[in-house]
Amino acid sequence: MVAWVVQSTGEIQKLVIKEEISVALQTLNFEFQAETPETMTKEWSHLGVTGSGDLEVLMEKKNLGGKVQAKVVTPVKGFDEVWRRMLGKFVNDCQVGDVSIEINDDNATPIVVYMRLRQAWAESSEKEAE
Amino acid sequence: MQKWDELEKSSFLDANARQRAIGMTDKGSFTELLGPRDRFTSPHLPVLGTAVEFDDGMVTGVGRIGKHPVFVISMEGKFIGGAIGEVNGGKMVGTIRLAEKAAARIQKEHPDEYAARRPLVVISFETGGVRLHEANAGLLAHAEVMDAFQDCRHKLPIICVVGSKVGCFGGMGFVAAATDVIIMNEQGRIGLTGPEVIEQEMGKEEFDASNKALVYRTTGAKQKYIMGDCNYLVEDTIGSFYQAIADVADKPMAEIEKLRRIGSVKLVEEQMGLVKLVGDMQPKDAMDLWKYYGNEKPEELPELSTAEFLKVVKCRVRN
Repeated sequence: MVAWVVQSTGEIQKLVIKEEISVALQTLNFEFQAETPETMTKEWSHLGVTGSGDLEVLMEKKNLGGKVQAKVVTPVKGFDEVWRRMLGKFVNDCQVGDVSIEINDDNATPIVVYMRLRQAWAESSEKEAE
Repeated sequence: MQKWDELEKSSFLDANARQRAIGMTDKGSFTELLGPRDRFTSPHLPVLGTAVEFDDGMVTGVGRIGKHPVFVISMEGKFIGGAIGEVNGGKMVGTIRLAEKAAARIQKEHPDEYAARRPLVVISFETGGVRLHEANAGLLAHAEVMDAFQDCRHKLPIICVVGSKVGCFGGMGFVAAATDVIIMNEQGRIGLTGPEVIEQEMGKEEFDASNKALVYRTTGAKQKYIMGDCNYLVEDTIGSFYQAIADVADKPMAEIEKLRRIGSVKLVEEQMGLVKLVGDMQPKDAMDLWKYYGNEKPEELPELSTAEFLKVVKCRVRN
């Protein structure tokens, strides 16, 4: 693939991207460690739908020595760092630990990702519906 | 997740597939089968670069209404328009087959009490039909579902519920027509070819898909109710749907059979009579038919609330 990049000097540079364009989904794996982690009360919780601009989150209680494992499946390339920061912010803000997170994403924006994570976390600590 | 009592009062239209499934059965009785944690996802979507969903866009499970086991299938329209593929199609067929087995077992173990313990299948449709990514498997699922319906005939009722945003279109429109009972809220829609597709293929003069009033009076629940396609028109709360389902659960099978639209020579003749009527009459709008069936001011019907509508409406009389 060829892309044209405008540099700060005003020069236009031709950039050849070797990576082939593929339709394959991206699978990203992350690991986080909060300072004073607390795990969820339920065994597992699920929230959201893999709809356009949205995502689903599956959280499971898992003995990970206080760590959090996250697996993200997304059709969008090149946002690994954004995912790492958004998930990291969630783990830090909520002090999450011993939880495995799995996400099926369909082009959700970062703020939607953060909101769904907070919702799933709130649900995971809620008492069972009667 | 909201509490059951809150769910009953909340809008069916706004509810997701799981909320609907829980709310259409007795409090605390719903158990999900093949839920998100089982990760039964489509093997075809990743090959095409499309994101999957852990439950493949369909909630299946079993609950109760009184003594009746209720086998629930609830489609999620937000995931690829609720379209039917291999995995969710398989879940659908499996759930109906499970209900059939349960019926046989109850018949054997409680022959005197069968009417009171008779299971039922409730399908909450929210779909545009076949999932094009896996079209052959999806079409096959449609056929298998219809086949399973036929095997349940006269044994246990299959109830179709339509009241979600996407409506029920494409091949699933046929499937809905093949059920025993159809329950809808005012926002529910059933059809074969969707409004946008008709416009695209036949032109705006034939069908203007941006004209919501036209779309609703052609495919919507009020039209279906007048024509006898919809058996119960209910308010838009999950509780209203629950009540209608509970009502069907206690009806004798012979009475449920009378609610069907297709499935016997007599019913085919009835449908052919309708085709002839439309041919002779050449209606330009659904309202022409409403007038034919005795509604003096058909243009007022779409504006009425469900309760007002049910009070004044005149429907096609089936013999």
